[in-house]
Amino acid sequence: MNPEPEQPNHDEARRTFLKQSSLLTALAFTPGPVLQAAAAEIDEKVAAVFEKIPVRLDINGHKHKLSIEPRTTLLDLLREQLGLTGTKKGCDYGQCGACTVHIDGKRVNSCLTFAVMQEGKEITTIEGLAKGDDLHPMQEAFIKHDGFQCGYCTPGQIMSAVACVREGHAGSEDEIREFMSGNICRCGAYSNIVAAIQEVKGGGQKV
Amino acid sequence: MSEQLQKSQSGAIGEPMNRVDGRLKVTGAAKYSAEYELPNLVHAVLVGSTIAKGSIKNIETRQAERAPGVLAVITHLNSPKVPGFAERDHPAEPPTAGQPLRVFHDNKVVFNDQPIAVVVADTLERARYAASLVKAQYDQDKHQTNLEANLGQGYLPAQAKKNPKSPLADYQRGEADAYKNGATKLEAEYVIPSEMHNPMELQSIIAHWEAPDRLTVYDKTQAVIGTQRAFAKDWGIPEANVKVIATFVGGAFGNGLHNWPHETAAIIAAKKVGRPVKLVLTREQMFTMVGYRPYTWQKIGMSATPDGKLTAITHESVGQTSTYEQFTESTLQQTRMMYTAPNVTTRYRIASLDVSTPVWMRGPGEATGAFALESAMDEMAHALNLDPLEFRLRNYTDTDPDNGKPWSTKYLKECFQMGAERIGWSNRKQQPGSVKSGEWLVGYGMGVGTFGAHRGSAKMKAILTKKGTVVLQSATTDIGPGTGTAMVQIAATTLGLPPEKITFQLGNSTFPTAPSQGGSSTVNTVGAAVQDACIALREKLHQLAAATPNGQVFSAAKPEDIVIMEGHLSLANDKLAKAAYSDLLRQNNEAEVEVTIESKPGGSDRDKYSMYSYSVHFVQVHVQPLTGEVRVKKVISCADAGTIVNQKTAGNQMMGGAVGGIGMALTEGAVIDDRYGRYVTKDLADYHVPVHADAPNMEFAFVNKPDPHVNALGTKGIGEIAIIGMAPAIANAVFNATGKRIRELPITPDKLI
Amino acid sequence: MNQFQYMRPTKQKAAIDALAKDPNAKIIAGGTNLIDLMKRGVMTPLKLIDINKLPLNKIEHEGNSTRIGALALNGAVAEDKLVLEKQPLLAQALNAGASAQLRNMATVGGNMLQRTRCHYFYDTALPCNKREPGSGCGALEGYNRMHAIFGFSDKCIAVHPSDMSVALVALDATVLVSGPKGDRRIPFAEFHRLPGDTPQQDTNLAQGELVTAVEIPDAAFTKHVHYLKVRERASYAFALVSVAAALSIDNNTIKDARLAMGGVAHKPWRLTEAEKALIGKPATEETFRQAAEVAMRGAKAFKYNAYKLKLAPNSIVQALKTAAAVA
Repeated sequence: MNPEPEQPNHDEARRTFLKQSSLLTALAFTPGPVLQAAAAEIDEKVAAVFEKIPVRLDINGHKHKLSIEPRTTLLDLLREQLGLTGTKKGCDYGQCGACTVHIDGKRVNSCLTFAVMQEGKEITTIEGLAKGDDLHPMQEAFIKHDGFQCGYCTPGQIMSAVACVREGHAGSEDEIREFMSGNICRCGAYSNIVAAIQEVKGGGQKV
Repeated sequence: MSEQLQKSQSGAIGEPMNRVDGRLKVTGAAKYSAEYELPNLVHAVLVGSTIAKGSIKNIETRQAERAPGVLAVITHLNSPKVPGFAERDHPAEPPTAGQPLRVFHDNKVVFNDQPIAVVVADTLERARYAASLVKAQYDQDKHQTNLEANLGQGYLPAQAKKNPKSPLADYQRGEADAYKNGATKLEAEYVIPSEMHNPMELQSIIAHWEAPDRLTVYDKTQAVIGTQRAFAKDWGIPEANVKVIATFVGGAFGNGLHNWPHETAAIIAAKKVGRPVKLVLTREQMFTMVGYRPYTWQKIGMSATPDGKLTAITHESVGQTSTYEQFTESTLQQTRMMYTAPNVTTRYRIASLDVSTPVWMRGPGEATGAFALESAMDEMAHALNLDPLEFRLRNYTDTDPDNGKPWSTKYLKECFQMGAERIGWSNRKQQPGSVKSGEWLVGYGMGVGTFGAHRGSAKMKAILTKKGTVVLQSATTDIGPGTGTAMVQIAATTLGLPPEKITFQLGNSTFPTAPSQGGSSTVNTVGAAVQDACIALREKLHQLAAATPNGQVFSAAKPEDIVIMEGHLSLANDKLAKAAYSDLLRQNNEAEVEVTIESKPGGSDRDKYSMYSYSVHFVQVHVQPLTGEVRVKKVISCADAGTIVNQKTAGNQMMGGAVGGIGMALTEGAVIDDRYGRYVTKDLADYHVPVHADAPNMEFAFVNKPDPHVNALGTKGIGEIAIIGMAPAIANAVFNATGKRIRELPITPDKLI
Repeated sequence: MNQFQYMRPTKQKAAIDALAKDPNAKIIAGGTNLIDLMKRGVMTPLKLIDINKLPLNKIEHEGNSTRIGALALNGAVAEDKLVLEKQPLLAQALNAGASAQLRNMATVGGNMLQRTRCHYFYDTALPCNKREPGSGCGALEGYNRMHAIFGFSDKCIAVHPSDMSVALVALDATVLVSGPKGDRRIPFAEFHRLPGDTPQQDTNLAQGELVTAVEIPDAAFTKHVHYLKVRERASYAFALVSVAAALSIDNNTIKDARLAMGGVAHKPWRLTEAEKALIGKPATEETFRQAAEVAMRGAKAFKYNAYKLKLAPNSIVQALKTAAAVA
């Protein structure tokens, strides 16, 4: 995937739109009604292009200049536009943790934030955790302790687990369980996940 | 022994080898069905009905059609016709009778949130928005969605009516309902609510018509062949023209054993727009149209002699199904075979409601039935003032009381012993509420599980590449148990190759036929096929090697002495023996040496023996007396599952099943508001799947003795017994802690205060 | 989800202006509740004002109170040294809410402004007066297991889902708001509303007003505090009932007390009468039981939430016992 996919030029789209529009004045001053115009079936196809806005994001060390709709969540941007499907959609409502990524080093649910809100932020997904062929110690530990079955919640578990250790919330089994409870594993590999986190925490490697 | 075999120790059968696909899973590189990038891919979003029963009077699609990026809005009014809908009879898998929902076929609504339209647009955001603009008006009929209000409507399933010998037919051993005359007797009703599989991966499909009569689907399914057949039939095209890919499946627990409306909706949409279409369900839709463990009412009557011998059991059940398919499961089977009772009566019924069709969910039927049976066993033990383990031992049976046959193997007593020791069963007090830990009440409980050790037929291809690696191909799937890993270990052991030289490819309908991944039978069936294919490959290599120049040394040796090396074959007892692959291939006129075999359960063992795997779950719970909160503190799940191919992945399955059992016992239940016939708890905040904090450090133990009658590997199956019996173990422990007998799941705090 | 206009002002005044003049505009900060509701079509703003660039995330101590900016993240507040030292009850309540990830996103302002989790509010196919005034209350005669036992009306029986707010109402916090007419201070107990005839209004914020901070007065509630949250699984679930309990105990006599409940009303439910029943009494289970009895006066249940009439007082007793360290 091209890290900087070509996107329609925002300003150009806007100019075209304004030229074509029969509602020039209203649109120029109160963009809100653009949307109502769309609902009223006037020039909606152009209106949609107009609504894209530019965003710069650093994802796994790659700088992206994007033009996206404000309603696009970070999760959908990653999965549907950037080909970064390692971040999973399990519920889309912040109720499962499968979409966990790090933004400026903090774990968050990427399904509950609009990508435009992350302007200028550094985002790390599961694809950005390993250094080349060298897996992150947490990834190694998950393999060793079999901290997964189907693998679908795994990227979210691992991103969350890394943060859990970094935050200092891996002090005991019970603390790990509490602070990992935002990541559901329906296969039920919880005991093995806790074992993997304990090993990484105990190993004292920098995570 | 050969160098290869030395290296392969870590991958031999029984070794706790790391998963072969572990790296793909921990790096996010494993691709699930919605994650394939296809040129011109577009997005589809379903619109669901807002009534449970009636017909669509009018459906307004104009706004959606005119919304930005929209390519099509498909309803019953303009849907391409699905040829097979006219006469389609069966879904992918038996034994469901009836006809799967014919999506967009007519204006009938038969359950709430039934797909009534699909919107296709160039982006997900646009498709989702446009879908919100579709509005329907209905002629509404009075619906029924409450099972308990409709128990009287329960009926004998069609297959039992047709065949009185069907396992679903009424059953009687000894005298009917003899418990009524028993010395000590009990009669109790048990209820489980509808439970949702809720795999973490949302049900997803990419449908792509590569030609007008050639369909490829990337689909979340447990049955690539079943899915291929179903869609070929639907569309009136040859099976070979339908390709089903399910390389990675993000959990399923049974809901990938049937084909669902959204799959056909996506295929229709792809037909209509002439582009590949991706359709991912929302979490709410995971509750309404892809199956569930059915709401089930059960009643048990039980009697025993004062010295703890069961004299009779009557077990009845009514489970819900839809109005268009008869879903059935073997809820009552274990009551017939688990204990010695001379008089056993079972009556299985289903009731049709205006809901979507249920489907097998992990430990299907048996997990439901075990909740009633194993709870009743605990109740009877209490009534007799007997230790519940002792009570089970007094009614233990060494032959199948259902048919008089011996068990193929049964090491349940060993499971009892291992589990009782490790949980500290001796700390259990017969009198409920007598053990405390701080303010919390402590209770111990046990529950037994069993499931048939099934084996089916499967084909398998084995290929030796020029590099000396072996590729195996099968149209089985892996929803999480670690199928590929187990198969590699079986092949490594059979061929004497290190596991890294073996690749097992699955999840593709173009591979040799295999059954669906269900009923704990994958290793029994596909594992046996791997073994057979490897033996056949070795025999072929033996023949080919013998025919090479200087092949006498090979013809003098046995096939099992063949050693696969890089670039050539050798012999275990003669390292100088050498047959180059180039020579092998030249005489065979092929690029690679390959064999395809079919592996079937053979002989008469199936007639001679009753074959089951067994589990027992021991748990310790803590109950807060004021707030009614229950915490499972210890779990030890022990299984007699035959040969264990991989201790690590098998143990993971056992613990995972037990976590599922915690959910079943304590937290899970989907609720319909019957006034609207609509689910009101339909996301992961309202429907509580266990989280990390609900699961203690789980333990497991296997007897690990082969069952020679199931297959040559000696495996019996794990997936189902991992959950069956866990819910009653917890309910029994809660009783032991509190003296409160909860017969309706889940055991939420309100029931204990 | 519909398209919307997105703006990210860097000045508070610009945010307030934009909010004040457009009834279809909404503030977005953490987004964890609003985006969820937008995905389901429950809220359909045409303009989002992203306030994350406003300097409102400080946690500081001034005079006799702790002041927490509206944009301070729930997770950051829960771990803040000052908060742990001065207001440990608040930290406990925050950690009882949601998940570590959500706490890294959700802000203090957003937390208090989160909407109910009522099933009928969330499903646009079902009636709900809060979502669509006049459509009826689906919960009144429906599946009302999670619903209110205090302060409800025949228009709405929903509960407020926040844990943080339960602690804040107990701790006599004040909400600082800024609007087109200037700044004002709203006592926390008066910030949220009871449903009455206008359940669509959760709070007493006026059009165009922005929450900028919350202030908590210092008090002697640092040792004997407990936030008890009873839920249907061990973590990551909304409360059936929750209790914020804070005691000041001297020589086994209760000198001062704060008590509030969550999961029982349309707003965080302060129990002032029960507090009075505690003060001056010995810290014993008997005292706690009497206070719980007082707390439950006027409670009324519906078909599926009658258990709360017992769970609530039991939880009060248990929370007080834990706070007082009475076995």
